[in-house]
Amino acid sequence: MNITLVMCSLLFGGALAWYIEGVKAQSARWIALLTVVVISFYFVISMTTAGLDFSALQVLVRLSWIASFNIEYVLAVDYLSLVLVSLTLFLALICILVSWQEIQTKTGFYYFNLLSSIAGIVGVFTAVDMFLFFFFWEVMLLPMTALIAIWGHENKHFAAIKFFIFTQVSSLFMLVAIIAMAAIHFQQTGKVSFFYQDWLTLALPSSISFYLMLGFFIAFAVKLPSVPVHSWLPDAHTQAPTAGSVLLAGVLLKTGAYGLIRFVLHLFPQASMEFAPVAATLGVVSILYGAKMAFAQQDFKRLVAYSSISHMGFVMLALFSFNAIAYQGAILTLVAHGLSSAALFTLAGVIYSRIHSRNLSYMGGFWQSAPRMGGFALAFTAAAFGLPGLANFVAEFFSLVGAYQRFPLLTILAAFGLIGSAIYGMVLFQSAFQGKRQQAEEENKVNDLSKRELLVFSSLLALLIIIGFYPNLVLMYFQNSELTLAITSTAGGQ
Amino acid sequence: MTQLMMQSLSPLLIVAFGSVLSLLLIAWHRSQKLILTFTLAIFVCALFASISLVLNLSEVVQVTSLMKVDHYGNFAFILILLASITVGLLSSAWLTHSVEVHDEFFILLQLVVLGAGVLVMSDHFAALFLGFELLSIALVGMVGYSRDSQYSVESSFKYLILSASASSFMLLGIAFIYSQSGSLSFAAQAEPVYSLFYSSGILLFLVGIAFKLSLAPFHLWTPDVYQGAPTPVTLLLATVSKIAMFVVLMKFWFSQSSLIVNANNGEISTLNLMSALAILSMLIGNVLALKQQNIKRLLAYSSIAHMGYLLIVLMIISPQSIDFAWQSALFYLAAYVLATVSLFIVLQFTQGNHVNADVDIEQNISDWQGMFWTNRLLALLIIVAVLSLAGIPLTVGFIGKFYVLSVAVQAQQWWLITILIVGSGIGLFYYLRIIFTLFSDVSLEKNASLNYSPVGSKLTPMMSVSVIMFTILGVVLGVYPDLLGNVLINF
Repeated sequence: MNITLVMCSLLFGGALAWYIEGVKAQSARWIALLTVVVISFYFVISMTTAGLDFSALQVLVRLSWIASFNIEYVLAVDYLSLVLVSLTLFLALICILVSWQEIQTKTGFYYFNLLSSIAGIVGVFTAVDMFLFFFFWEVMLLPMTALIAIWGHENKHFAAIKFFIFTQVSSLFMLVAIIAMAAIHFQQTGKVSFFYQDWLTLALPSSISFYLMLGFFIAFAVKLPSVPVHSWLPDAHTQAPTAGSVLLAGVLLKTGAYGLIRFVLHLFPQASMEFAPVAATLGVVSILYGAKMAFAQQDFKRLVAYSSISHMGFVMLALFSFNAIAYQGAILTLVAHGLSSAALFTLAGVIYSRIHSRNLSYMGGFWQSAPRMGGFALAFTAAAFGLPGLANFVAEFFSLVGAYQRFPLLTILAAFGLIGSAIYGMVLFQSAFQGKRQQAEEENKVNDLSKRELLVFSSLLALLIIIGFYPNLVLMYFQNSELTLAITSTAGGQ
Repeated sequence: MTQLMMQSLSPLLIVAFGSVLSLLLIAWHRSQKLILTFTLAIFVCALFASISLVLNLSEVVQVTSLMKVDHYGNFAFILILLASITVGLLSSAWLTHSVEVHDEFFILLQLVVLGAGVLVMSDHFAALFLGFELLSIALVGMVGYSRDSQYSVESSFKYLILSASASSFMLLGIAFIYSQSGSLSFAAQAEPVYSLFYSSGILLFLVGIAFKLSLAPFHLWTPDVYQGAPTPVTLLLATVSKIAMFVVLMKFWFSQSSLIVNANNGEISTLNLMSALAILSMLIGNVLALKQQNIKRLLAYSSIAHMGYLLIVLMIISPQSIDFAWQSALFYLAAYVLATVSLFIVLQFTQGNHVNADVDIEQNISDWQGMFWTNRLLALLIIVAVLSLAGIPLTVGFIGKFYVLSVAVQAQQWWLITILIVGSGIGLFYYLRIIFTLFSDVSLEKNASLNYSPVGSKLTPMMSVSVIMFTILGVVLGVYPDLLGNVLINF
């Protein structure tokens, strides 16, 4: 399997789309769609025929890159990265489909940014040289910021700057920690190395490892996001174009969780154990605070953004419980939330394209004129508040069951978040689809879903239901994986 | 003087001899084209000489007690020559707008390069002072060169007076140091001398240097002079003068092994002083840049911050890391010079499109509005250069920052690292503002009122090629920094 090829062809497809749009209008989206479809097929086929055991990290390519620092170009995948890359590619398709009509200006450049951002995200999920990881981590931000800053809504520059500064400053802490790890590697072995698997063998003095862990943790907590460094998210989501929000909520937040799993927990197990109560508390505060704030919003996208904070709190709580069940719950939450929040943001985009507002107080009574949209909306809000039968339920249930064994009190508090999510979910649904539309001077009618939107919604819903009924589709990869074992053994050793 | 000494000093000798020849040339025939070609020829010859030195010279050559030619100084001189060649080309575009023949300008340029060359090779306070004055006096002439400009007198006087007082501080400092150590050579200072005179001598000496590097709190002249000077001269101030002063500071600093060794046992006042300068520069430079509208003023403040970042490489605590500190500093300087030169190229090119290009017109960030949609090449160059200054990956500036952070982590300067992170966070505000301006939609009525023709496809093929070249260079060195890093590591 050639991940480099995937990234390069995404970039190339983006560049091609940019160029072609200048030759013939409206062709960029086809190029982009075609690129992602072909790449997805290639990815799925090569993944199934690779014949490697992905329960452990499999190094796919290893080349020397910056010899003066012994930095290498190393890509490796295991099931965790495979699942997240698949999610990324799937949501890439959704992103292109939701931008189909929405983006009318500077279209070619838009698709270039979209695809290069996806290429960067794929890089983040597969890079195992820490310098390379950092490189992709930053590179995926640039096109994402451009998406917000150029095609965003009224307050786009502010949101883009805020997004960029939060992530950039926090990632500098990670960079310092990365350099310090390389320096420690030099002290212990006489050789500088940025290779992840070299670092796993280091014996870290516990006094330093706590601070190093903190450096990584800050970067990933900002991305996740967790209270108190969450405040970029509502702004970025509100101002971003629909596809930008989908990408942000669906995949970009997951890079934070991925970083926590791959780097914080594995490189610094001991320090993470010490830090776990704080992290879990932050997770629970995020759950409750996110739910409370979501309830108070009038802006559709802002509401969904705060609900994302709430859901990501479950991931944080579950990951820092050092428990196999909770770990599986966290992974499943990543996938389920990726799908359900993408669906809700798409819904926001669909409504915005019809009434040109995100304000809930301008909505209401859509059910009469757009029953299909209403049906999907109900299903997706139900997914968001964890209705059994949908993926989020299994995910949150696993997280809570696992976390209870370690943090009973915190988990009880976290469970209240589920009630909160039901409340804001119903607020969202009711004010948009039931009652009367408040601005009555306009014609009280919105168009129902088009075929394209129907395709997007039904594919998202289908996946949510399938995973909801058969979570083993995802979980089978994480049953006995090395990751789970490592986590349980660390927890057991304590 | 042996053959080896002559050979190792050849780049400097070429420039010195060339400037004398240029004077004769002017007496013989005044032609701007001729003197430009001659100046560039001198620089290119010196460049080749330096490059061959880098390739062939295997040892450090002490040329009399005044100068020491080593690879780091040579590399810095190469950077200086490259920047000066750009300055020469840019100023030829600028000087055509006037009726006069501007031979003197190019002589001054050669003298600046000569002064910078003496500085980067000096190993002695006398050589340092010679280079320092040569550089300053020639620069004063250049800063005030465009007499018609509104700010010409103000900025040149400001530069003259402050520069003169800085050099008098420095002289006094050197005198103090001499009174204690009895020698003017850098190397002789290695023996630690503890006395009030000696410390205050170093303090006064550093004041002179800090002025030239525009470190806070000696930065007050920078924005005004940057704004008032003609664009190519500003570029000269921002690159050549900074490189030369920083390299000579490093030469002095690292010869003071007492500064490094004593860091471990209490005697750290000079080190603390340097950290304070670095912290102040990083914070003040970035904070004051936030509200700037004028591009040159913004770059002035951002250069203050960059010099602050760069000072971090001086804070090493073990003599083993001196080589790595040199590499980091030179890489950072190269990245900084590349980004600065790129931005000034754009400034000069867009300036040429103003109706009244004779007079220096204020260039504000808003003048670049929507450039990405009207002139993609230039806009891409700006984006790469600005991202490089901000230290974002894909660009060479990130690698420079990576080097500096590596030095700082090895020296365990956690406070400085924190301030650096805070500083670059603040810096992102104004760097991103520039980039977003490029992407925002063009507002036509505003441009009409400015009497400003939007930067259209007015680039000549020559200009386009140079713009593309600098863009590619900025990205390639950022993605594959070994091209430069290996040169430095092989010294």
